[in-house]
Amino acid sequence: MATPASAGLVACPSCDLLFDVGGMRHGEKAVCTRCGDFLTRVRDDCFLKLQSYAISGLVSLMIACAFPFLSFESSGLESIMTLPQTAQQLYDQGRPDLAFLVAGFIIVIPAAVLGLLTVLSTCIIRQRYYPWMVPVTRLVFHVQNWSMVEVFFIGVLVSLVKIAHMATVVIGISFWAYGAFALCFVASVGNLDRLQYWNELERLAGLKRAG
Amino acid sequence: MQGKTAASRNLASCHICLKLADASLHECPRCGEPLHLRKSNSLQRTLALLVTACVLYIPANILPIMVTDQFGNSTDSTILGGVVLLIDMGSVPIAAIIFIASVMVPLGKLIALFYVCWSVGTGRTTDPRQRTVLYRAAELIGKWSMVDVFVVSILVALVHLTGLLVILPGAAAVAFAGVVIVTIVAAESFDPRMIWDQQDVINE
Ligand SMILES: [Zn+2]
Ligand SMILES: [Zn+2]
Repeated sequence: MATPASAGLVACPSCDLLFDVGGMRHGEKAVCTRCGDFLTRVRDDCFLKLQSYAISGLVSLMIACAFPFLSFESSGLESIMTLPQTAQQLYDQGRPDLAFLVAGFIIVIPAAVLGLLTVLSTCIIRQRYYPWMVPVTRLVFHVQNWSMVEVFFIGVLVSLVKIAHMATVVIGISFWAYGAFALCFVASVGNLDRLQYWNELERLAGLKRAG
Repeated sequence: MQGKTAASRNLASCHICLKLADASLHECPRCGEPLHLRKSNSLQRTLALLVTACVLYIPANILPIMVTDQFGNSTDSTILGGVVLLIDMGSVPIAAIIFIASVMVPLGKLIALFYVCWSVGTGRTTDPRQRTVLYRAAELIGKWSMVDVFVVSILVALVHLTGLLVILPGAAAVAFAGVVIVTIVAAESFDPRMIWDQQDVINE
């Protein structure tokens, strides 16, 4: 028979040891004393930050998709590459499998995560609760690890060096916009504290049930 | 003074929302995720995925990751061939990045995960903390091996438009992306709490 868990009790995800993290104040962080894994961090402004980084990230991504990413000059011929073309060219070259993976990892998944986080954090800031928020949040926690924005950014830098001996490569606006997008993504997800987020959602659900 | 584990009180911790709930429930009462005391068949699933990744790792290294076609001459390059080429070109730091991301990270990750699986399977009780840190490091670095696949896709798109030179993605790019994805899923299906279960039983 299970002993009922008191509020504020949490088990370390890596070693299962129980900790009482109730009554933590702004700026405090809890770490497992046995294995060192991160448990939770309390920040009063985490939902505001989550929202503002998510919106800035989405705006940066729109800029990144609309403008030239890199342009390449060789023997007087100039060609411009946009961000979506990275995936589209793979598709045209007979590698649709790779095209879908790349598009998913660098654009679709991170954009979906930021879009959903914008909606969810806006609802939480306004203290609204809707039942669909639960499955949507679950989806965000499932897919957030599959974003590879920062890895792609390193990939771009490596490609620039690889191609430098063949032609002059000019960095476009959207290169910087994508860098900003990567930073905003990391910052936004960094403010998504598993425990604090779900506790707040549960509290809002309770308030709604109480009328 | 050692505290108590959730399992010793028959509480299951939800991996999505960290809610503690009676282990006899099938679903998390807070988020609806399937609830287990420990991830089910964790060891078998992780090992099966690791073996799959090892098998995929062979074509990923033997087949070309990139085919360059210039004035009718086509040249294949493998992952390691690309590293050697970069060293010849004098870009040692970039060669190091590719070597670390495409060779050391995936191999290190496979070895680390095989080791933690073996240590759990044989019931080792020594240095659980180091093994947990090793597991978490393997989980964290996994996606960085995608760098080379991204490099190939950028080069394909960038060079295609000039018409002078054609760069095609090779079959190894797909196999390598497969290795990265399968090892990420393998790391996700391993339950690090198993590392501690052996000693928690002894301490009780
Ligand atoms: Zn722990
Ligand atoms: Zn849950």
